[in-house]
Amino acid sequence: MSLAKWTVGLMAGMSMLAIAAQANAGEVRVTVAEYSAKTAPYFADVKKEFEAANPGITVKFEVVPWDVLLQKLTTDITAGTNADLSIIGTRWLIDFVQQDVAEPLDSYIKPDFKDRFIDTFLSPSIMEGKTYGLPIAASARAMYYNKELFEKAGIAKPPATWTELQDDARKIKALGSGTFGFGLQGKEIETDVYYYYAMWSQGTEILNKDGTSGLGTPGALEAAKLYKSMIDEGLTEPGVTSNNREDVQNLFKQGKVGMMITAPFLSNQIKDEAPNLKYGVAAIPAGPTGARGTYGVTDSIIMFKNSKNKDEAWKLLDFLFTTEQRAKFTQGEGFLPVNKEEAKMDYYVNNADLAAFTALLPDARFAPVIPGWEEVAQITSDAMQKIYLGGDPEAGLKDAAAKANAVLKK
Amino acid sequence: MQNRFLPYLLTLPSLFLAAIVIFWPVWDLIQISTHDVSRFGQLRDFNDFANFGALAADPDFMAALWRTGQWTVMVVGGALLLSIPVAMILNTDFYGRGIARVIIMLPWAVSLTMTAVVWRWALSGESGMLNSALIGLGIIDHNIQWLASAETAFPMQVLIGILVTVPFTTTIFLGGLSSIPDDLYEAAALEGATPLQQFREITFPLLKPFINIAIVLNTIYVFNSFPIIWVMTQGGPANSTDILVTHLYKLAFRIGKLGEASAVSLVMFAILLIFTMIYVRLAMREQRA
Repeated sequence: MSLAKWTVGLMAGMSMLAIAAQANAGEVRVTVAEYSAKTAPYFADVKKEFEAANPGITVKFEVVPWDVLLQKLTTDITAGTNADLSIIGTRWLIDFVQQDVAEPLDSYIKPDFKDRFIDTFLSPSIMEGKTYGLPIAASARAMYYNKELFEKAGIAKPPATWTELQDDARKIKALGSGTFGFGLQGKEIETDVYYYYAMWSQGTEILNKDGTSGLGTPGALEAAKLYKSMIDEGLTEPGVTSNNREDVQNLFKQGKVGMMITAPFLSNQIKDEAPNLKYGVAAIPAGPTGARGTYGVTDSIIMFKNSKNKDEAWKLLDFLFTTEQRAKFTQGEGFLPVNKEEAKMDYYVNNADLAAFTALLPDARFAPVIPGWEEVAQITSDAMQKIYLGGDPEAGLKDAAAKANAVLKK
Repeated sequence: MQNRFLPYLLTLPSLFLAAIVIFWPVWDLIQISTHDVSRFGQLRDFNDFANFGALAADPDFMAALWRTGQWTVMVVGGALLLSIPVAMILNTDFYGRGIARVIIMLPWAVSLTMTAVVWRWALSGESGMLNSALIGLGIIDHNIQWLASAETAFPMQVLIGILVTVPFTTTIFLGGLSSIPDDLYEAAALEGATPLQQFREITFPLLKPFINIAIVLNTIYVFNSFPIIWVMTQGGPANSTDILVTHLYKLAFRIGKLGEASAVSLVMFAILLIFTMIYVRLAMREQRA
């Protein structure tokens, strides 16, 4: 064998290595949250379709349960092994921006791309004039009510105010046989949010205009007293502090709870698990002045500053936010459409449940964009649990407001 | 004449490995806990042990510290008290002993998190198995909301803690019991010793080294045990079932105070180290005497 042949062979081998290295360089790693059993199959399909359309780019999705997502991101970022893209709760975004780990996307966003989005959902991801994330999931909360229980109790329509809600709850309680008027969530994620529904209807906001905590205001106290009186009167399910959102939803699916406030995905769950349940979706009750508020929430997909494949990652983002992909994801998970074209689809226009949610969007509040928000939320949840367990609302809220203000001052 | 340095030389590789696995993370924790640290672990300035100061001033931390003590003592104590008779029964020869041993060991084979998840369901107020069983048996007439408050949740968590600690403890004691020669009991029986006397004079003293091992190892495991409390109540409601590990987890990954969380974990490390040293010292002295 001649030397030339060896050289050719070697060159061929080296060029193959080079190609392999290039393929590796075109790998986009994405950390995604597992919203439901449909999440992983959806992203597996995305991988297949996207890689077929974009030869040379490989995509790797890491599907992580919601509960451990922040923990995984924290450890990954600390170790410098984070992915190129990740889904995060938009309320965490400020930390990512302040710590300089999120890449602004403005240089990639063309006007027609930006035009795809409904502004309400894109704006929470914009900070200091720069877009740091794209809303991959959007949701709001509305009130579900059990039509059968309402009919049996002789209630004609869902309550418009909290006073009506209390009356209706009394009537449903009077039916006996293990039915509860109002499902009150008192454990784990969004325990604080469940309290805000009552608080917002008193015209109180999470943060006062001067940036201090709203927990110290008379409206906050009224709201806490409302829930506590309902617990004391037996209008809620027993053992409020042992029921997280899923527990209350399960009680609703079993037809044991007359009313509860939760996200659109409950409709999908009912369709699968309790297809015979007759229910309706209505607005969150208003307070004495007519004020009302629902919780709007978006999750953003962000690009990390230390990503080495930003152009490839952007291509994937562009693909994920096409109308077709959005519709598939949103309808599977039971979220609200964030894409204008998508919102015009028959699926959304002719859906009474979703219409109730979108009607509430003008009243939607998003979690305040402040550092330390998670701690304030934790303080609020803890305070509520103490009150639900029989603590004094006034003292509990005063204590919580002081703690929250100490965090907010930092 | 043997080389005096040979033993040290021979242990050097494993010492080196231990240094990487144990001392390096501890060093890292010391670094994080004594500095101002960002949400994602970047160190900033040295901050004069402010993280430790913040812990001392935090009533939730002090409550969790005290509760961790109760949790450890009750679970380890309960498991010991239960395991000695269980081990003694399993050590006797009876029909179906193999199956009985397997049943006792089963909780050990199931992941702790899964056990906790199953119990969370079982203790659910409205649709839990325990409530329907108790009502079916006529013991209670209305549902008990087991996990709604610490008064019922924490004792249940302790009971489950005991349940999952028993298999390991029983295994240690079975090893201990099989090392006691039978002729001791025969001689004692000939002298007219009652079973209780046999236990007090023979079984218990000879089992003592094994009890000591069980106490030290179980204390370390239980003190650091996370899944049972986290899965069932996440330390709630209102932090009333928090132990140090769950408190630490919330500090680090919910609120993002990595500095304070590292301080908590150093405090835990120090407590366990001191406990183990004192206990081993005491147990050794007793044995020599």
